[in-house]
Amino acid sequence: MKAVFEYWPVLAQGLWVTIWVAVCIILGALPGAVVLAALRLSETRAIRVASMLLIELIRAPSAVVLLFWAFYALPLLPGMPRLSPLVAAILVLTLDGAAYGAEIVRAGIEAVHRGQTDACHALGVSKIQSFRKVVLPQALSQIVPGFGSLARSMIKWTAIVSFIGVQDVLYVANYVRGQTFDTLTVFCFLGAIYWILTALCGLTFRALEQLLPLNRALRAARASAHAPEIEVLTGAAQ
Amino acid sequence: MTWDWSFVLKILPRLMEGVWYTILVTLASSTLALSGGLALAILESVSTTFGRAFVCFWLELFRGVPTLVLLYFTFYVLPEVGIILPAIPIGIGVLGIVYAAYCSEVYRGSLITIPSELRDACVALHLSPNVTWRRVLIPLMIKRAAPALLNYVLSLFRETAVLFALGVPVLMGQANEVGYESFRYLEPYTLAGVIYLCMNLPFLYLLSRFKDKHA
Amino acid sequence: MLNASDTPRSDPFSAAAAATSNATGAHGSDSELQQALWAIEFQKVSKSFGAHQVLVDLDLQVRPGEKVTLIGPSGSGKTTVLRLAMTLGKPTGGDIRIFGESILFEATGKPISAGQETRIRRRCGMVFQQFNLFPHLTVLQNLILAPTTVLRQSREQAEVSALEYLRMVDLQDKALSYPSQLSGGQQQRIAIARALVMKPEILLLDEITSALDPELAGEVLDVVRGVAQQSNVSLLIVTHEMRFAREVSDRIAVFDRGRIIEEGPPDKIFGQPDSERTRSFLQSVLNH
Repeated sequence: MKAVFEYWPVLAQGLWVTIWVAVCIILGALPGAVVLAALRLSETRAIRVASMLLIELIRAPSAVVLLFWAFYALPLLPGMPRLSPLVAAILVLTLDGAAYGAEIVRAGIEAVHRGQTDACHALGVSKIQSFRKVVLPQALSQIVPGFGSLARSMIKWTAIVSFIGVQDVLYVANYVRGQTFDTLTVFCFLGAIYWILTALCGLTFRALEQLLPLNRALRAARASAHAPEIEVLTGAAQ
Repeated sequence: MTWDWSFVLKILPRLMEGVWYTILVTLASSTLALSGGLALAILESVSTTFGRAFVCFWLELFRGVPTLVLLYFTFYVLPEVGIILPAIPIGIGVLGIVYAAYCSEVYRGSLITIPSELRDACVALHLSPNVTWRRVLIPLMIKRAAPALLNYVLSLFRETAVLFALGVPVLMGQANEVGYESFRYLEPYTLAGVIYLCMNLPFLYLLSRFKDKHA
Repeated sequence: MLNASDTPRSDPFSAAAAATSNATGAHGSDSELQQALWAIEFQKVSKSFGAHQVLVDLDLQVRPGEKVTLIGPSGSGKTTVLRLAMTLGKPTGGDIRIFGESILFEATGKPISAGQETRIRRRCGMVFQQFNLFPHLTVLQNLILAPTTVLRQSREQAEVSALEYLRMVDLQDKALSYPSQLSGGQQQRIAIARALVMKPEILLLDEITSALDPELAGEVLDVVRGVAQQSNVSLLIVTHEMRFAREVSDRIAVFDRGRIIEEGPPDKIFGQPDSERTRSFLQSVLNH
C-alpha cells in the first residue's frame, strides 16, 4: 500500500487530467445540448427530423466506438485533420454529452404545462418573451437535475480516454499497478477518486437547483403553514 | 488511404463474429440485470431496513464508479483471491450486476405507483403473499417499468463495447484486432460504427412503440 | 387618421369606430359599419379535430359592453368558441372578427400576418379554468409580466396599476406571495386581475369556477359581478353556474353538439325556453 502512494505525483497529475477533461466536456455539452434541443423543437418538420436523426446517430454507437473512429479512422479520410488524443477525446465526449443533454432540455421544455403558453398568448406576450420569462424558468427546474445526473455520468465517461493514450487517472493507475503489483490498493484508490468526483459534481448541481425560481416558489409554499395548499401548487407546477 | 471494398469483404466475417458475441453478452447480462433488479426490488420491499441499505449501497457505488474501473477491478483482483474466470463471464457478471442496481430503482418506482387499494383487494380476497406477488404485483411492475427498463437494456448494449478492454471479442474488440493486424483502421472502425448503429434500430423501434402507446 | 391602438381603451365604441375607419378593402362601407357594431363576430365558423366536428357553421355576435353566456352540455363546443376567439386555435372554416377586423384574413383574403394578429387579439383577454398562473413568479410579477413586456410600461408604472387591480379583487396583501401559497379561489381572482391589467375590451371567461370547490366559487363570481357592473368590457362567458349566468348575462346562448340551439335574454331561456332540448338540459343541471 505504501508503495502505491510513493507514486502520488503521477497520480495527482492523472487526476488533474481527468478533472480537466471532465470540466471541458461538461461545459462544452451544455451549449451543444441547448442548440440541438432548439433544433429538435423547431417548427419546421425537416429540421426537427434532421436533428433527431443527428442525436440518435451520435448516441447509437457508444462513446468508445466513436472515440476510436475519430482518433484512428477520421484522419484517414481526405482533408481531415489528425487529432491529438486529448482533442479527440474532448470532442467526442462533448458531442455525446450534447446529444444526451438535448433530450433532457427538450423533455424539460415539453413538460411545462400547455396552459402556461396559452396564458402568455392570451396576455399578448410574444413567443420569445414567453419562452424566456415563463417556459424556460420552469423548465430549468427539471433540466438542471437531469443535467446534474448527466454530468455525473460524463465524469465516468472520461475513463475511456485512456484507450487512446490520454494520460488520465485511469491510465496512470494502470501504470502504477504495473510497477507495484498492488492491484487491490490501486483500484480501490481509483474507485474512491471517481466516486468523490461524481459526488462533488452532484453537490454542485444540487446547490444550483436551490437558485431556480420555481424551486424558490416551492420552498415558499412549504414554509407557509397551510399544508393543503401545497397540493394546489404541485397541480399548478405541472 | 481510400476505402477498399475487397478488404471490407475480407474482414466482414470476423466482425460478424463480434456481432454474435455482442448479442450473446447483451442477452446474458440483460437477463441478469432484469431478473436481479426485480429480485432486489422485491427484497427491498419485503425487508425494508436491510434490503434498502443493501440496494442503496450498490446503487451509490455504481453511480460513482465507471464500469471500466469495476471491470478492471474484478478482472485483476479475482485471480488474486484464487478465483480464475475467463473474461466473458466477468464482463457479463459486472455489467449485469451494475445494471441490476439501476433496474431495481425502476422496478421500485413502478411498485410504489401501484395503488395500495390493489393490495387491500388482494388481502380481502385472501390471496397468499406469494400469489399476490407472483400473479398481481410483479406482472404490473414489469408492465409499468417496461419502457424505462428497455432504455437501460439499450444503454447496457451500448456499454458492451468497453468489454474489448478485457479481451472479450465483442464487435469493438474484433474491429480493434483486425485493424491492428492489418494496419488498416478506416474500414474496421467505420464498419463497426455502422453495425452498432444498425443494432440500435430494433431498440429504437420498440421504444417508439411504447411512446405511441402512452401518447 | 385615428389609429385603433391609440384610442382610449375605456370606450369601446370609439375604438370600434376607429377600427372601422382604419379598415380598407373589398367590403362596402355599410357592411363595415354594421360589423363594427359587434365586439366579436363569428361568421359561419366551423372547427373539427380530425373526424370529430366540434363547431358547425356557428354564427355568434357580441355587442360592445354586452355580457353573453354560453351554456350547454359538456363537449358541446363552448370552450372551443373562446379558444378560437383568443386565437388559441384556427377554425376549419368561416371568419372571426374582433371589432370588425378579421383575426384570420386580410381584406384581400390572404391569411393575416402574425403582427396584425397580435395587434387585433390584444383587445381580448382570457381567464382559464385551470388559472394558468405562472408558478415561478410572485403574484405581483404575474401581474406586471405582460404590461412590462407587451405594453413596454416601466416597472414602477406597471406595479402601481397592478396593485390597483389587486385591491379590486381584494388581494393587495398577497402581492409578494407565490400562487402556490394561495387558495384556488384566490388564484383565480389573481388570474382575473392579471387579465384586467391589460385593459381588454373583451374578456373571455372559460369555466372559471369549474376547478374550484363550491365554497370558493362564490368569491370568484363576486369579482366577475363587480367587473360586469363597473366596466364597459364585453364578457363572453362559459359556465355551469346557472344562477350566476342568469344574473350577470344580457343574453344566453344554448349550445348543443356544436350549434346554438336557442338564444335569448336570460329570463326567457330560464323561464320559457322554446326548445325541448334546452328544457331538458336545464332540468338536468338545475335538479342537480
